[in-house]
Amino acid sequence: MPLSQDPQWYKDALIYQVHVRSFQDSSGDGIGDFRGLAQKLDYVQDLGVDTLWLMPFFPSPLRDDGYDISDYRSVHPNYGTLDDFKGFLEAAHARGIRVIIEMVLNHTSDQHAWFQQSRSSRENPRRDWYVWSDKDTKYQGTRIIFLDTELSNWAWDPVSKQYYWHRFFSHQPDLNYDNPAVREEMWEIMRFWLRMGVDGFRLDAVPYLIEREGTNCENLPETHAVIKDYRARLDREFPGKMFLAEANQWPEDLGPYFSGGDEFHMAFNFPLMPRMFMGLKLEDRKPISEILQRTPAIPEICQWCLFLRNHDELTLEMVTDMERDYMYDEYARDRSMRLNLGIRRRLAPLLDNDRRRIELMNGMLLSLPGTPITYYGDEIGMGDNVNLGDRNGVRTPMQWDGGWNGGFSSADPEKLYSPLMLNPVYGYQAVNVASQKRFEHSLLSWMKRILKVRKSSPVFGRGSIEFLYPANHRVLAYIRKWGKETILVVNNLSSSAQAVELDLQGYKGNILIEMFGRNIFPRIGNLPYLLTMGPYQFYWFRLRKV
Amino acid sequence: MAEESILTDDFLHELMSVGEVDLLVGVPTHNDAATIGPIVQAIRAGLVQFFPRQRAVILNADGGSHDQTQELVRAASITDLQHTPNPHALRTLHSISARYGGGPTSGRGLYAILAAADLLHSSACAVISADSSNIEPEWIAHLLRPVSQDGFDLVTPVYHRHKFDGLLLRNLVYPMTRALYGKQIREPYPSEFAFSGRLATHLFGQDGWTAEAEQDGARLYMTISAITGGFKLAQALLGSKTRAPSSPPADVVDALREGVGPLFFSLDRQPAWRTNTPSEPVPILGGQPEVTLDPLRINRKRLYDLFRSGVSELAPLLSSIVSPFTLEQLQQLASRGEEDFCYCDELWVKTVYEFAASYHRAVLNRDHIIQALAPLYRGRAYTFLVENRDAQSEEVERNVEALCLTFEKVKPYLGELWDGRK
Repeated sequence: MPLSQDPQWYKDALIYQVHVRSFQDSSGDGIGDFRGLAQKLDYVQDLGVDTLWLMPFFPSPLRDDGYDISDYRSVHPNYGTLDDFKGFLEAAHARGIRVIIEMVLNHTSDQHAWFQQSRSSRENPRRDWYVWSDKDTKYQGTRIIFLDTELSNWAWDPVSKQYYWHRFFSHQPDLNYDNPAVREEMWEIMRFWLRMGVDGFRLDAVPYLIEREGTNCENLPETHAVIKDYRARLDREFPGKMFLAEANQWPEDLGPYFSGGDEFHMAFNFPLMPRMFMGLKLEDRKPISEILQRTPAIPEICQWCLFLRNHDELTLEMVTDMERDYMYDEYARDRSMRLNLGIRRRLAPLLDNDRRRIELMNGMLLSLPGTPITYYGDEIGMGDNVNLGDRNGVRTPMQWDGGWNGGFSSADPEKLYSPLMLNPVYGYQAVNVASQKRFEHSLLSWMKRILKVRKSSPVFGRGSIEFLYPANHRVLAYIRKWGKETILVVNNLSSSAQAVELDLQGYKGNILIEMFGRNIFPRIGNLPYLLTMGPYQFYWFRLRKV
Repeated sequence: MAEESILTDDFLHELMSVGEVDLLVGVPTHNDAATIGPIVQAIRAGLVQFFPRQRAVILNADGGSHDQTQELVRAASITDLQHTPNPHALRTLHSISARYGGGPTSGRGLYAILAAADLLHSSACAVISADSSNIEPEWIAHLLRPVSQDGFDLVTPVYHRHKFDGLLLRNLVYPMTRALYGKQIREPYPSEFAFSGRLATHLFGQDGWTAEAEQDGARLYMTISAITGGFKLAQALLGSKTRAPSSPPADVVDALREGVGPLFFSLDRQPAWRTNTPSEPVPILGGQPEVTLDPLRINRKRLYDLFRSGVSELAPLLSSIVSPFTLEQLQQLASRGEEDFCYCDELWVKTVYEFAASYHRAVLNRDHIIQALAPLYRGRAYTFLVENRDAQSEEVERNVEALCLTFEKVKPYLGELWDGRK
């Protein structure tokens, strides 16, 4: 199946986030690899997604699950070889599936040759590739991101007797983007992968590239200038490729990452995500509608990326203290579930394995404006294991069947990179692809259907959004429009049945056609449109004027 | 009166949008635009600050205002319709205003609020008067917390009052309610109070409730029902009590109609008053009320003159209401000069009980009986003012307590009058 040639393909994309390590082991060593991933491309294609986002797979000491990179131009031997990667990439493209990979710009592993050279002496040519200081008092006021483990953004290097700057773990020293050599080298690295055929990069931790005294060292103009330069080169040499920003910021601060359409193509809508969970628990659309009211308009060629969960903790950085306390109390009463400023749980456990809520949240994910991302395993309702430390509890092996190692690996279970989920509710015998494939009404079957319905209209990816504000605050309703097509989405956030009257006067005369069953609902007349909805129910209606 | 006639279609429509709530704050109004704005803003601030996670609604039961009352209430909503995000509020707060059926009475307004609380399954409710001009957000916490968190069913207010404020309350309504029903509730006829969903449901189940709701004594009836129904009671210190500057001075006859009429009426409906056990204190939460002593100009002589002229002019009426002995005592009192005038506790209590018994037997038109009490009350007020003219707060409290104990001590006399044995 050929890849779409539309330069704005990312606006219609359905992204599936996968960790190579976690998906399928082909070699029997207990660790997922590229050959295994390639073997499962049929599954990915059958699911209905068309873009894969791979978590880091470069060589790394793996102290931060691959986000601590020690070689940017290779594949970690755990996952295979560069040729394995190329084979996988080719197979994905043959199925019409694009591949986005991680590019960790901000920092490297302290095991990277660059850092080893940089620290070896103050005269080393690569000394200036990192941010060094005699004192740890520079850039005061810069927040610490990994609060649970780091006390400072500076770490003392006993080798070169200076402090080095790190916004994440202390074994991840920040690169110095004030150094043109660093900027050039990182572009060459991206070029290396782009020439191989990758379709884009998720640029990790981009707000933190540049530091300046007297600022919070985030979202600085100089940082944007770096990205703009990369974007200009990307457009010149590799048109149709894409940059996705990982910038966990308030809505007002996200706009500059799109700039005038000359910076990032896409950015994660971090502020929206926790508020979807909040709105669901409160049974009140206020958190969701208000954050979307605050979300800036973006250039027409740009796109938000939406997600419910990912490999990290459900971040609560971009909420107020009151909201954070509420989220902790409602979703992470057990303090072991809390990490840094977030909650390290998967989607199904967060929603108490309630099928209706899982469907509703996915319904909103797939109908709000943006490109949706599904985290591997959430399509079958996988669980989590907070006892595995850090964020490893949401990165357990994919559960393919109820057999040996859940079908993930032929290795002895003790050799698996991570234990499987075993409990009666989320264990691999209960939750797996094979059993869900057999049943029409399984979560997996439902996910395939909704992804298909989503793909049936470009409105979801490209359309405008107009919120309706029914008096019943438990209902979130909005109109999506693109060209001549109009879709009405109505979501009942409440655990109880609701009646809602919608002001659809502007669409009088249209017939509503429910998009899953394709049944006709009454025509919009003069009166407010009355809908009655079951607990957590949602509707997608296509409006047709006949 | 059918529930349907109170809840108009518009009212019901508004309730549908709100849905189930944990907390409901009701504000009955009728042309209160001059005061209602700051009141609902204070209520809103109180709910957001002290109950940020609870589902709440501010509900204005309006009797048909022709000013901006309803619009001012609606402006207190916190919803996304305003397109101005409110990061200090976790959830939507509806502030709705709807007219209740029938004409405007305080009883119907309260009944509409109770009906709404029942339909919305609110577990804790408060009612705030539209002329409580000095309300603070903390009042909402003081009233609602004991109900929502501590399991109380009725929370009435106590205030810091001037020693000469609330004379009718101090000299009749409080001591008599206390004596009759056995609970020391300082404000049995409260303008702001809180109640539980349990109590609301109980009231709806009572046959007499709808009749009471037609009248202005609904709040007193509610207090008495809570006492006799064995519900858990508390009092909350709210602060000082002031009325809105625009409120007209209370007319004595109207005050007697509103406060004393329903109290007398309750004797017919609540046989529980027949028991003769000493009254019990009701816990006061949040501190003790203070009696303030600021200088105050009051025309005591007018009260004295009105007492004397009233006793004289209403003698034929009074002879049908009070006993011959009491009438003689009153006439003797009326003949005394100001310096010798003392409408003592025991005489006052007997007077009140004889009035209550006559009200029960409807010896005359009941409203005429209430009106006839007015000059006598003025005489009693005169005595209270004189006796406490130089008194400090503790002495004032002791004098009120003494009067209360007299009401309790003489209560068997009311029983005898009631049964026709006297």
